[in-house]
Amino acid sequence: MVIWAILSGIEGNLAAYEAVLADIKRQRQPVEELYILGDIIAATPASANVIQRIRSPRDHEPEPQVCRGWWEEQLLILHGSGRTGEPTELIEYYGAEQVKALWDAIPRSTVNWIQSLDFGFFELDCLLIHGSTVSVSDELTPNTPPIQMLDRLMRMDANYLFCGRSGLTFQYEIQQGSITSSVTTLDHTAPPQATLVKPRQVIGVGNVGRIPGQATYTLYNPYANQVEFRTVRYGPRKGFQSI
Amino acid sequence: MKIAVISCIHGNYEALNEVLLDIDRHQVEQIYCLGDLVGYGPYPNAVVEMIRSLDIPTCQGCWDEDVVEGLNACECSYPSLLAEKRGRLAHEWTNQEIHPETRSFLAQLPLSLRDGNLCFVHGSPHSQHEYMLPDMHAFTAMERVLATGADTLFCGHTHIPYVRQLESGQLQVRVSSGQSSQRPNQQTSNFSAPLKRIVNAGSVGEPRHGRTNATYVLYDAETEQVTLREVEYDYQKTCAAIVEKGLPSIFAWRLARGLEFAERADDPTHVCER
Ligand SMILES: [Zn+2]
Ligand SMILES: [Zn+2]
Repeated sequence: MVIWAILSGIEGNLAAYEAVLADIKRQRQPVEELYILGDIIAATPASANVIQRIRSPRDHEPEPQVCRGWWEEQLLILHGSGRTGEPTELIEYYGAEQVKALWDAIPRSTVNWIQSLDFGFFELDCLLIHGSTVSVSDELTPNTPPIQMLDRLMRMDANYLFCGRSGLTFQYEIQQGSITSSVTTLDHTAPPQATLVKPRQVIGVGNVGRIPGQATYTLYNPYANQVEFRTVRYGPRKGFQSI
Repeated sequence: MKIAVISCIHGNYEALNEVLLDIDRHQVEQIYCLGDLVGYGPYPNAVVEMIRSLDIPTCQGCWDEDVVEGLNACECSYPSLLAEKRGRLAHEWTNQEIHPETRSFLAQLPLSLRDGNLCFVHGSPHSQHEYMLPDMHAFTAMERVLATGADTLFCGHTHIPYVRQLESGQLQVRVSSGQSSQRPNQQTSNFSAPLKRIVNAGSVGEPRHGRTNATYVLYDAETEQVTLREVEYDYQKTCAAIVEKGLPSIFAWRLARGLEFAERADDPTHVCER
């Protein structure tokens, strides 16, 4: 039995990450792989501690596999190595002051490490990525139209797409589908052909650090194709640590 | 109302002239152009001048973009390595040949045009560089049309004309959301896609359907009928000019055959994410 823990959006919140690691340790089925789908940092100096913690897992902790998220992308844009030249989205969502805050928050010495992060992982028939096959900014939610979901899955021919951009936990199953197509060229007309869609899923893995005191993440069994969403409550005033 | 849609003229003035004469014979009220006015061919300035003087609404093609923006470092603008090498030579030649007015005209072209339930793009609604081949997965093709909000999507870029009808599209989805998997909020729904069409206008100046004739399409808005047109022109004149002007002679060779092997994309749906 193999279990993956998949999380996203620590956003510089070390306490939240520790709470999730503790929850992972408590699982009856041992977690073998730990995927972190980006946004480990945010425009906060505490991000440096999170990077430090991720890069030095303790004994018996799975080695985290980290890919680039939206926040990492914004940082790389500031350092001139993003996919666009200007931090347009950062300014649009968080205001111009955050440009300096982000620049100041992340030690120069860790930028190379951030730059070396993959855009995503393809493991078995699963794509694990921050946004989608389109970009780190592409936000898939329970309300995304099915045809768009299918497009994102088919771009990499994945059966399961795990993503974290929305911060929500959801399971979006395309159960079946069909479409008929006919093509006419200058030289011939092909009869209509039906194309069937096999079942595929998009899974929103939750968000670890955004809401203080409450982290969400996902456990996945790739052999049984079983998805379990975990909610971890943490903090000094809570009487319990997990539900 | 009848419209004509032309694409991928690629500096071939002879072919454009002959196609415009053919359009004249069909009582067309409006012409649309899907870009790639320049590149490969010997007369980029004359072609742009003609399109401008006729006030033909035009969207920006991949070549028009590359000439304006400069060739991007990402090699994936080209479908294959061989195509890339040739493309670079043609790009450099075109870049030196075009007048400043031509460049500024190409720079201001929109990425898409809209006319009622019709939408016009060069490659796909997502990128001027995406190849919408006739065998693209039918749901992917449907997504491209739906992304525009139109019923019929006109595109070019592949240089081979076709009409594709997509119908009876349906998907069944189940969405569970909520914080806890113990009490999931589950919903099953059915989605059906209305009838949509993709019309590829082929290429006026660099046809690749296996014959030398220029291709374009006519569309009758009342009957919604699409006619793929093939027009003969003096391709040898263009071939001679290609050689004379010092462009790679392979462009003359393939123009004289209406074929291109190197540009059969290695990965046609790959879109550069620069
Ligand atoms: Zn073209
Ligand atoms: Zn093109």
